[in-house]
Amino acid sequence: MMAEEIIPAVQINNLTKIFPVPFRKEKVIAVNDLSLCVEAGEVYGLIGPNGSGKSTTMKVLLGLISATSGSSAVFGLSSSETASRGSVGFLPENPYFYKYLTGAETLSFYGKLCGLSRRKIKERTSELLSLVDLENAKDRRLGGYSKGMLQRIGLAQALVGDPRLVVLDEPTAGVDPAGSRKIRDLIIELKQRGISVILSSHLLEQVQEVCDRVGIIFEGKLVKEGKLEELIEIESQTEIILEHAEPKILDQINELVQASEETRVLRSGKPKTTLERLFLKETGAESEDVRKDS
Amino acid sequence: MSADKVKSVKEDFVVPHKLFSLSRVWAIALNTFTQLVRMKVFYFMLIFSVLIIGANFLFLNFTFEQELKILKDVSFGAMTLFASIFSIVGTALLIPKDIEDRTLYTILTKPVPRFEYLVGKLIGIILLVAVSLVLMSFLFFAVLYFRQHAILAEEIKMIRGGATDAQKEYLKETIFAQGVSPELILGVLAVFLKAAVAAGVALVVSTFASSTLFTIIVSLVVYFIGHAQSLALEYYFPDGQMYGALQTFIAGIVAVVFPNLQMFNIFDGIITGQSISTTLMLRLIGLTGFYLTIYSMISWILFAKKEL
Ligand SMILES: Nc1ncnc2c1ncn2[C@@H]1O[C@H](COP(=O)(O)OP(=O)(O)O)[C@@H](O)[C@H]1O
Ligand SMILES: [Mg+2]
Repeated sequence: MMAEEIIPAVQINNLTKIFPVPFRKEKVIAVNDLSLCVEAGEVYGLIGPNGSGKSTTMKVLLGLISATSGSSAVFGLSSSETASRGSVGFLPENPYFYKYLTGAETLSFYGKLCGLSRRKIKERTSELLSLVDLENAKDRRLGGYSKGMLQRIGLAQALVGDPRLVVLDEPTAGVDPAGSRKIRDLIIELKQRGISVILSSHLLEQVQEVCDRVGIIFEGKLVKEGKLEELIEIESQTEIILEHAEPKILDQINELVQASEETRVLRSGKPKTTLERLFLKETGAESEDVRKDS
Repeated sequence: MSADKVKSVKEDFVVPHKLFSLSRVWAIALNTFTQLVRMKVFYFMLIFSVLIIGANFLFLNFTFEQELKILKDVSFGAMTLFASIFSIVGTALLIPKDIEDRTLYTILTKPVPRFEYLVGKLIGIILLVAVSLVLMSFLFFAVLYFRQHAILAEEIKMIRGGATDAQKEYLKETIFAQGVSPELILGVLAVFLKAAVAAGVALVVSTFASSTLFTIIVSLVVYFIGHAQSLALEYYFPDGQMYGALQTFIAGIVAVVFPNLQMFNIFDGIITGQSISTTLMLRLIGLTGFYLTIYSMISWILFAKKEL
């Protein structure tokens, strides 16, 4: 057990991936000398605009494409070995599955590919269907699933082999706020179970509440990396949020500030809720967590 | 925690990876088969039924020999056509679609070696061809059986003053010689083997083409040239002799790229009543095994490092 905790879930060293452009001389450098490490049990967010190399990094990590140079490994096993896929689950960007299969059949198919026994497949299938909230749709063919449902069956599919690392490429893209909330809750649940997660997103606020650490990727390079609070904290500023503040107290605070030499008030007023929270509140799709942190 | 419990927890945790697993291949094969069945391919049985039942009524004025022969011709022709189309179109439809839809990502990111995926797809499609040939043969043999009895009854009725036992026996023998016979099963088996080789060709093409239309066209071209392959080789090497290593090499390449499919057309002989030697059947089976092995290897080489 000790040894396992020391081996990182993901270890990418100086990864470069260059795509040749057919019939042209120039090449696309999709990933440029990128190194990152995801510790076991950590949730890591890879954030960057479209075309910055997030999916390419993940594909190399999963052995779907090979690195031009550099190395990548999952729990110490090189990505080029099929065995390294034994402990990974992957949800691709905009996933498509066999639309002729039902939800339950899909999970059982992927379970067989993971080498699970018949009994285990039954267990896992019903467990995962309830986890992703698709029990009612389990006997419907995927051809009739909505985008959010596909994303969730995709997540269940990624979890079927009991992975220790889950790789999610844009898990919340194209899903409505309630669905995206549900997916983020699932990610938090994975973290509580001790599963390592690496996920990508081009929307920063969607991932900030679930990630322990984020890396910002731009034009194939990792430009900044660190703990989320540290990255977004503004060192020189402090925020006070008061409930039912009496005017008298506000006046006193203002006086104190004016008396001080360095302190200045930059902004005061009512804090804004996010549009997303407003949406969730108005549509009644709000979940426990949202209420807690608003 | 007791010692054995610790052990079982550990075993659950570290699943040893198998380099080749038949159960994974079988899962992919069954999935492929299910997919094709749910695409409603078995509706083709309606067309097939119409064809071979219709063949009975089109040629009422022929002699019974001609009539049975036409029935067999039409049936074998239709079986060859359907089996070959299924194997080529099925392969061309499913593999490029997996790549295009990125469904392949979800499969290959499970501990599934790429070779298993290819073999699984191939087996799934061959399974579909086999099942459809079994269905078609049942229908074919049933119609043929019904026809031969109907013809016998008719012929006996036509003899004025009633047929003697010897006449009846003679008629039965000559008519049934054109009817259902074990040789026909060999003919169906040859149709199956040919379709399996065609599926192998389509597998190779689809792994580098990643396009359905291209795969179908190239495979069909190979399929047709494959029927003329032996003619071409005979033309260039008239006395069956290869002069030197280069020619042998070229002939070898041609034989791999364009499999000799004419060899599998033994039903012509079967229909005209020739007997089929066991050696020939064994040769066809061996040849099919050879081609499928070579094609799986080539597609694996093309697919192993493919950037997806
Ligand atoms: N197969 C490919 N061939 C050529 N260029 C590619 C290929 N895949 C990705 N790229 C290019 O690599 C860059 C990074 O792409 P990608 O990793 O998909 O970005 P992201 O997932 O961050 O949106 C883009 O400029 C994209 O056009
Ligand atoms: Mg992407």
